[in-house]
Amino acid sequence: MVDYEVMVGNKACAVACKLARVNVAAAFPITPQTSITEYLSELYASGEMPGFEFVNCEGELPAQVIVNNAALVGARAFTCTAGPGLQYMHHPMASTAGGRCPLVMAVVHRGIKSMQPDHSDLMSQQWTGWIHLYVENAQEILDTIIMGYKIGEDARVRLPVAVGYDGYVLSYTAEPVEIPPQEMVDKFLPPYKPPRSLIYDDPEASIGRGGGFRSGDPNYAWMMHNEGALNAEEVIKEVFAEWAKLTGRKYGTGMVEEYKTEGADVVITAMGTVAGSAAAAIDKLWKDGKKVGLVKIRSFLPFPRADFQRIAKNVQAIGVFDRSLQPGMGGPSYREIKNTLYDSNVHPVVAGFVGGLSGKEVTVKNFVDLGEKTLEYAKAKKADAHPIWV
Amino acid sequence: MSERMTRAQVPLEEGIIFPGSTCQGCGAAMAARLTFKVMGPNVIRHGIPCCPDQSSKSPSTGSVFEGAGPSLTGTSRALKALGRTDIKAVGFFGDGGVYDISFGGLMAAAQRNENALVICKDNEAYMNTGGQHSGGTPKYAETTTDQVGPNSRGNKFHKIRAAFAFAALGVPYIATASVAFPEDLMAKVKYAKDIEGFRVILIQTPCPVGWRFDPAKTIEVARSAVQSGMWPLYEIENGSTFKLNYKPKELKPITEYLKPQARFRHMTETEINEMQTYTNQRWEEVLRADEAKRLTF
Repeated sequence: MVDYEVMVGNKACAVACKLARVNVAAAFPITPQTSITEYLSELYASGEMPGFEFVNCEGELPAQVIVNNAALVGARAFTCTAGPGLQYMHHPMASTAGGRCPLVMAVVHRGIKSMQPDHSDLMSQQWTGWIHLYVENAQEILDTIIMGYKIGEDARVRLPVAVGYDGYVLSYTAEPVEIPPQEMVDKFLPPYKPPRSLIYDDPEASIGRGGGFRSGDPNYAWMMHNEGALNAEEVIKEVFAEWAKLTGRKYGTGMVEEYKTEGADVVITAMGTVAGSAAAAIDKLWKDGKKVGLVKIRSFLPFPRADFQRIAKNVQAIGVFDRSLQPGMGGPSYREIKNTLYDSNVHPVVAGFVGGLSGKEVTVKNFVDLGEKTLEYAKAKKADAHPIWV
Repeated sequence: MSERMTRAQVPLEEGIIFPGSTCQGCGAAMAARLTFKVMGPNVIRHGIPCCPDQSSKSPSTGSVFEGAGPSLTGTSRALKALGRTDIKAVGFFGDGGVYDISFGGLMAAAQRNENALVICKDNEAYMNTGGQHSGGTPKYAETTTDQVGPNSRGNKFHKIRAAFAFAALGVPYIATASVAFPEDLMAKVKYAKDIEGFRVILIQTPCPVGWRFDPAKTIEVARSAVQSGMWPLYEIENGSTFKLNYKPKELKPITEYLKPQARFRHMTETEINEMQTYTNQRWEEVLRADEAKRLTF
């Protein structure tokens, strides 16, 4: 039987932790993530999850270290944070990924210069070596947290997964969410069994024995890490296809989700909640006879290279919308798309729009304009200099 | 409180791997050997950046420098969640970690009474990186960042008395120990091992390189620290019950401890007297607490 409940995004996140049978959760409350920690506390208090350990610890950095170690021991671990909290976590995040600890972290986007959302928090963590997924609504939060464990724990990946969703508009907004049955999730996501852990039952299989990695090629750990991150693309596609079969909820390829791209002259891109406004704009554009499609980027790391090389073959221009900006360098997805297409034999115009920073509202009208501008750039075979402010 | 351990009770097994990679006369290596003899194999050892004393045979893991408390928390909570409380989470950290960069995280873990044993090998500075000032450095000691010159007399601050900071959080067990008193040290580890909750053992581990004394004299230096009252050996239970383990009839003058160490050689008579007074006052405090069998300050 399928269960529905009207809930806010943060509750969907906590419900996903329960369904995934998380063993250890550690977090420090920060707006707009706070209510996840409260829901986790409620879960702990209810006694509904036997053996569940919840640590409301003294800060985000400790939270990251706690879940890192819990995963090393062999527990399924969860943490969550937002904006500056994520930046405070930065240091041990590299250890979590470097230690190949496949935990899941919810990042409730809050700008690094403001209380309001943009994607600058998670975008600033690209070098920590995690898998970065961006989601649009509460249902997608619940589904992606559960899928995140399956992706991260896959032997081909073995990396932590960050699931980013916009603060306030998603964290504190209620919408109906379908709760999948526990038995189905249990079948989809069996208990976490790391190939090696700190538990010493088999002395030869224990890690960290003696001096650790002191010999051999120092590049080796990086090579393996890189391989895991690249393998994630294949695994994400498999896991999303399996979930779609089980639940009927399909999120494109898992890497990208396309909307009305069939027969489109140009496409625009979006990430996170603004993809909903962008989809509404696409409907209006098609109604006006303007053939503009939408590509929602779901996985930023690994970047959907194959998907964009395929999409680029059928369009004259790509209007990229970034909700973050590295001053002096540009929008991250704009740069990645351009980078990706350099290796391709088709080179449509790529226009780099930037907006929605520090919580600035992005409307349907903005995306209509963005689509129309992209059509103009296609006709002119040239875009304005990046960034084009929205 | 720990019970007296005889030589015959000292385990023959070793918990560490030989050879180590320490300097000659390393006090921390002795502390590691004694500690892991008693801990047995069923432990997960935690480290943060520190001198590479002696690797353990048990699984070991390293965390970020400020991660001492949280890494033990993560391990002990995971062991609990997975039903493996037979395995002990042990931290073996330096004084830079315990008194300085990881101090806050350890305080928080202590307040949560996490099920973990913290062992501090206290060599009174960041010796791994050449001897920079830490919260464990005693007043007037010269370190590479507390240099002595016309404008400086070495370290300006008294060493943090971390045991009492942990006592304020009411943790089940705290002890100080010294490599010059190995039976006492091992008895404390043995006792602390099986207590549930947060336990701390601070071991003074002289460093011939950083303190600048003859590497053959490590034990003598450690012994004179205890005999002069500069490093009293005691135990505190539940933040209150107190026991002084070593009570000489008369304290030796601190000069016996200071003189062999070149880090103190610039000290004037006035400065030595000041330290002597400070040491005497602290000693009287622990004597009073021992008499009352509880912390009185």
